Amino acid sequence: MSESTETIKEILTAMSADETHRTEALSLLEDGNSRYLRDLKLNFNSALSSEFITAKEIGLLGLSVAVNERNAVLIKFFQKFASDNEANAEEIAEAAACASLLASNNVFYRFRHFTQKEKYSQIPARIRMQIMMKPVTGKEFFELMSLIISAVNGCEMCVNAHEDSLIKMGTTEERIFDAVRIASLITSTGKLIF
Amino acid sequence: MITIGQKFPSFEKKAVVSIEKGKEFDTINSEYLANEDNVWTVMFWWPKDFTFVCPTEIAEFNKAFGDFSDRDARLIGASTDSEFVHLAWRNNHDDLRDLKFPMLADTSKSLAEDLGILEPNEKIAYRATFIIDPTGIVRWVCVNDLNVGRNVKEVIRVLDGLQTDELCPCNWEKGQETLSN
Repeated sequence: MSESTETIKEILTAMSADETHRTEALSLLEDGNSRYLRDLKLNFNSALSSEFITAKEIGLLGLSVAVNERNAVLIKFFQKFASDNEANAEEIAEAAACASLLASNNVFYRFRHFTQKEKYSQIPARIRMQIMMKPVTGKEFFELMSLIISAVNGCEMCVNAHEDSLIKMGTTEERIFDAVRIASLITSTGKLIF
Repeated sequence: MITIGQKFPSFEKKAVVSIEKGKEFDTINSEYLANEDNVWTVMFWWPKDFTFVCPTEIAEFNKAFGDFSDRDARLIGASTDSEFVHLAWRNNHDDLRDLKFPMLADTSKSLAEDLGILEPNEKIAYRATFIIDPTGIVRWVCVNDLNVGRNVKEVIRVLDGLQTDELCPCNWEKGQETLSN
């Protein structure tokens, strides 16, 4: 077995996925014996631990990113990771719901921010956001999930607004930074494995 | 009349909740108006049981029952008739037999009085509709004169409007304070 095949096997096993699972992109790296595979493995592993975010929270953050990315392999992995770390079904559902709601908000508010036209901020959005009222994962954590989804979806003002709101709730910059780091690593893993 | 921003008055009333024998009546009170479950209340009044405009309107609300429950809103129908008159009317009218919401009996007229919706001559309620938020505060009032029916779609449109506050901090413009303040 080549070294890259071995590394892929390790990554997939760590993800509880079938070790023979391949996407076209993953096969390209395997065939070219890419050194990047080792970075991928280490990066993904480092996304699974943090000094500022609990394992349960990592599971839920990962799940929301995986749902946002429509990544079946990662959804399955992070659902299990979250529930193994004591997230309940309601919290898991909320992580998925957050990804969906923020996807609409990121599209909609980004449009408002882009155009900066008074008219568009005067017309009511009529987007239901009831889950933001009393999130089962708590206000601060829901805000943190919202921030990372906005970061992944690339909405500048959404990111700034959620970051600002977290700081006002007393969240440390280290915690915010680590959540975004985790989201970025999961996103990159998801480009190759899905 | 009670209006927007005011607390809905407290009450405790009998209501008809079913036509099944032994399960016809229940007591409804104002305690649940303010709740932790984020449930809204829509209470609509009609002047008298056994009239013609009313059953059509009540049946329309019943058809839209799912639209209200999808929006976490509890429907309550009410008039100043007694629970026995309500029950007799439900048993008597095809469109009312399978109502999914309670018919509240304000027999003493005390609630209609507190709400300020009693017609002065006959002492019956105007066609008033109230939307009450999960903190027990009235957020919308609409009162029609005795013979003017209501548009249920309009009630749902208003409920949607009230419930779609742009809660997300994404709704933020330069130079503006964020919503978390």
